[in-house]
Amino acid sequence: MTWREFQRLQIVSRVNARFVSYVEAGEGPPVILIHGIPVWGYLWHGIYSELARTRRVLIPDLLGFGFSDKADGFDRSIACQAHMITAWMTQLGIPRATIIGHDIGGGVALRIATLFPARVEALIVMNTVCYDSWPIELMLQFGHPEAHRKISASLAVRLLRQALKRGFSSSRNRNIMEGLLAPYTTETGKLSLIRNAAALNTNLTTEITHLLSGIKIPTLVLWGVKDRFQPIHYGERLVKDIHESRLIRVKDARHFLMWDQPEIVTKHLLDFFDRTVPSRPLMV
Amino acid sequence: MLFFSLVMKNYPIPEEEAERELDGIFHEIKQVFRVSGVNLNFRTWATYPKFFPVLWVSIRPVAETRLFEESCNHIRALAARLAEKLPRLDAATSVGLGDSQIFQIQAALDLYHYINPKLLVISSVVEYACQHPTMSGFQSQRPDHELIPRGIPLRMYPMEMIDETPDDATLRRTFRDIQRTLGLPGINSDYRTLALWPEYLYAVWHRLKPVITHPLYLEIALTLREAAQQMASHVLPRLTISEDQLRVLGRKRTHFLETTAHFTQLLPPLIINIVLISLDWRSRQDLEGSPFPIEFSSTVLEPST
Repeated sequence: MTWREFQRLQIVSRVNARFVSYVEAGEGPPVILIHGIPVWGYLWHGIYSELARTRRVLIPDLLGFGFSDKADGFDRSIACQAHMITAWMTQLGIPRATIIGHDIGGGVALRIATLFPARVEALIVMNTVCYDSWPIELMLQFGHPEAHRKISASLAVRLLRQALKRGFSSSRNRNIMEGLLAPYTTETGKLSLIRNAAALNTNLTTEITHLLSGIKIPTLVLWGVKDRFQPIHYGERLVKDIHESRLIRVKDARHFLMWDQPEIVTKHLLDFFDRTVPSRPLMV
Repeated sequence: MLFFSLVMKNYPIPEEEAERELDGIFHEIKQVFRVSGVNLNFRTWATYPKFFPVLWVSIRPVAETRLFEESCNHIRALAARLAEKLPRLDAATSVGLGDSQIFQIQAALDLYHYINPKLLVISSVVEYACQHPTMSGFQSQRPDHELIPRGIPLRMYPMEMIDETPDDATLRRTFRDIQRTLGLPGINSDYRTLALWPEYLYAVWHRLKPVITHPLYLEIALTLREAAQQMASHVLPRLTISEDQLRVLGRKRTHFLETTAHFTQLLPPLIINIVLISLDWRSRQDLEGSPFPIEFSSTVLEPST
């Protein structure tokens, strides 16, 4: 699926004064897939159809990302994104959902699970930011306000493409990079991404550390073991702090594990769904 | 039309390349004009580095008044009423657009439907001021009605645009065709924004091109230009631009005047085009109103019928 085809599937929802674009597919218990930085919902296009066979899958673009609102005048922190996701769920009539987050999307998911636990049925985080694992050096530089004047949109995309290669274990998967970075090829897109990077804040995960042990829902921590951006020892720390959690190490996978090992990731997700939130009531 | 392309030799300064004083002025322009980007007029005027700050100081007190806002509302409403008589484009139905894409196209059209009349009126005001410079030290009477609130409306779409020379060959060809047909010095922000949805831009342009030569279209463009000139000469306060200040332009003075006159000719078709494209989505009545209205206690200007 090309990024343009994926974009055409997006529907839109007003959340307060902003708008959120998202893809929705399938029926059943709701599952929300949250991307990280610097990508958008297209990240999930390789695996979502399989999940949508038994689930109502929803894939939002976070504020300031992809084809959601990119105006220059609002907060894009993971705290704000967590509020946006819960407000958006309310708007769609979804009281609780299984939430899956990758990278900073995992940070958003962790904040929802700790601060709005009633909204989360089950939690899956993949190579997530947590504790003081972030922001990575590249994003710190990218988020500097002067970056807007110092680098053009085309240069910014070239630099990101180069850096993100390290997130894939296989070069064939790098073909999706064009699509992942497509929304940021304009000056507006670049500025939005710079603002997104400027909003990355370690404190927003460190401040919930003491709440992690209070997460009482089934939790799966999936981790590409070769990730250089978010090393696996953070995943190991997470499962010690979240009592109901399990860590699955995905071999031969880096940061973008859903692209490096799509079948394995999908299988683990479906297994976890069946054990935690079956699509049909269990026969007694 | 080729003449205009030759007149515009100065390459407009991109917003992201503005530094120091110019960056500050561009910021103020967005605040005062209540718009999410700096349009071609200002980016072109900014290529006269000594004169532009003087010009802006003179424009600002006029542009942030309710009288200016309502003058532009009047032009917008007039354009909507007149353009409705032109053939419909029906471009929207010919392209398979998604829900979010439609939402964003409409939001982008609202942005230009809001700003283009303001650009036409201010270009006419600047043109008039340059033709009738004031004496040195002349103080224009600030209109006695309220100032509009500054700032970009919360729901305004960002002025997102595709690069002027895109990688895609079809898009490059379409840009060239638009530029040639409309006699544009560069490809305008409107079309660069619509190019975010290339298939839609192709459909729009394919249908718009024949309408542009329609005698009624040319008549409407002239009516809008004259209405804006009327606002500049009889309704709005004069800009305080003196002969001495104009002398700063030196040998570029004629060029500046030609460029400004050029804008007053280019903008009416752009206003009509946005109305025509928007009519696929919205009613004429909707388009008569401002997409980002400001609440006023009473009306200063009654739209003419």
